[in-house]
Amino acid sequence: MEELKYILIFGSFHSLTYLVFSLGFSLVFGVARLPNLTYGALYVLTGYSTYVFLNYLNTPLYLAVPVSILLTAAISLAIGESVIKPAIKFPVSVFITTVAVAYIFEELFSIQMGLKPVTLPLYPGTTSILGIPVSNHWLLITAVCLAMTLALLAFLYKTSTGKAIRAVAESWEESMRLGINPLRVLRATFLISGVYAALTGILLAPLKALTPTAGWSPLFAAFAIVVMGGIGNILGTVVASLVYGFIEQSMVYVLGGGIARVAPLILILLILVFRPHGLFGRGE
Amino acid sequence: MSRLAFSKPSKLKRVGSILPALFIAAIYMLLPTFGLRGFWLDVLTRVNIFLLITLSLDLYSGTTFYLNLGVPFTVGCAAYSLALLNRYLGVPVEYAILPSAAISLVLSLVIFLPSLRVRGAYFSIMSLLLPIVMAGIVTSQPFSLYLGGEGGITYSPLFFSYARGLPVKERAFFLQSTYFYISSIAAIIAFIVSYKVAYSDFGFMMRSVGQDELLAEASGVNTVRVKLVGFLISSSLASFAGSIYAAMRPPVTVDVFIPANTLVPPLTAVILGGMGTIVGPTIANYFILLVYEALWDVIGRWRVVLYMCLLIVLVLLRPQGIVYYLYTKLKRLVSSKIAELTAGV
Repeated sequence: MEELKYILIFGSFHSLTYLVFSLGFSLVFGVARLPNLTYGALYVLTGYSTYVFLNYLNTPLYLAVPVSILLTAAISLAIGESVIKPAIKFPVSVFITTVAVAYIFEELFSIQMGLKPVTLPLYPGTTSILGIPVSNHWLLITAVCLAMTLALLAFLYKTSTGKAIRAVAESWEESMRLGINPLRVLRATFLISGVYAALTGILLAPLKALTPTAGWSPLFAAFAIVVMGGIGNILGTVVASLVYGFIEQSMVYVLGGGIARVAPLILILLILVFRPHGLFGRGE
Repeated sequence: MSRLAFSKPSKLKRVGSILPALFIAAIYMLLPTFGLRGFWLDVLTRVNIFLLITLSLDLYSGTTFYLNLGVPFTVGCAAYSLALLNRYLGVPVEYAILPSAAISLVLSLVIFLPSLRVRGAYFSIMSLLLPIVMAGIVTSQPFSLYLGGEGGITYSPLFFSYARGLPVKERAFFLQSTYFYISSIAAIIAFIVSYKVAYSDFGFMMRSVGQDELLAEASGVNTVRVKLVGFLISSSLASFAGSIYAAMRPPVTVDVFIPANTLVPPLTAVILGGMGTIVGPTIANYFILLVYEALWDVIGRWRVVLYMCLLIVLVLLRPQGIVYYLYTKLKRLVSSKIAELTAGV
């Protein structure tokens, strides 16, 4: 019973963070039609840069966080412009370049920061939910994640740039006929997805220790979620991240953290075998 | 599918064209008798084995353009199954090479089979995911007890029981040179097999999948079957590389699953050599890996960063590679010179 409560509470917290993380991922995936494999590295990068700002440059927290977010967004844009956009017509080239960038970041982190996990300061205090003590940091995460999700929805459905993003995700050629420049839209998605990766990186770094390779598992989780929910399908992404979060947390509490690593693998395999076009996919 | 419109050269000409390759291979095989010893002989052995991985990558990803980043998975599974067969079933390393390669092949096939059925990013994402999952599994709690954890699994290497009977002085050289010969023969066989496959009718079917999968399917190519068989051939090369490498160099550790060790150099070699050309990546493999080894003393871990930057620049500016281009230029130059000389006689 106790375990069920844990799964319920932490499953929903994790689902929410996965939702925000995959929303940023699905923006680029939807527009470029290719997964941005550097997305996990951006997540780690923000954690490390905030850590450096706080511990080496003695920047106050309220300054360090926005500066690292901006930095990550800028780097995301730079990566998109330099290695994704020139090769956008050749999927295999994009795979190679983005994987190469991700490995470069991984090596840089392990050369500069070492393999020892680092953490960021935690929001203090605990609250009891259903009799389970929960760190206030999780509540902060919940608030920020909900705000981020709503902000993205408002952006996608109310602003002209957001509408353009949805149009390009629907059809690259059709949107060009309507006078939308897909490459400019792509640039916007690089920037926004950088912000989303950065925010989840900063929010989760205090709870999950930061290592050079920490970015891969959220990346695969995001891929599994986006594919399961259907690319560009917001409702599908919400449902998929709930499914993913609960499956992963159940595995952690029932089978242990070691086996939980295979959760994304199993999920992707299941999707591939049973529903290659996603839970709500329409097929090709 | 009919043969491509290449006119077949006469038998004499074909023998003539492989003579230089045979000559180079013979010289290469004789290196230990010319006095090559120690560290660099070990390095050459390793480079020979890496040729299998490079060719595996080139044969599948270079022709079908489905990027197989999961080569470390296949290599690592073969290495670990060899070590596990030895430790838990007591199979001597000499007899465990074939079964462990087979186990790894079956494992790779079972896990990749679902992603081979569909088009798109699935295959590459799956292949990227697998080595990372395996590295996590090998080092994390319940499994690390059986798989040796960070320290890996140790056993006595290939032919060690025989070498123990030799005088102490000769032991090291016997093992080194034997490993070198075995790895060279494996490399030569792998090269011939991949060349034959890549330029056969089947190889051209794989290329058609790489060019336009829908069009290939519409032209009557069974794309799923082609991808499956191609993956099988290429993975068997990678599995053998893993088994042979593990048999020669205990202990098997989590390092085999780390891309910086088993993916970065072969991938760079494939891109530098020219995807799908087999000859280019083979030449590039020796160049890239020898430089990779030498760079360790100069810049240490930065060599990975350097190679990755090289990879990005190559992919963006010259995706067709360099080595194969130079090779064909040189070949044309030499044959025109020969034609000039023979015309004068």
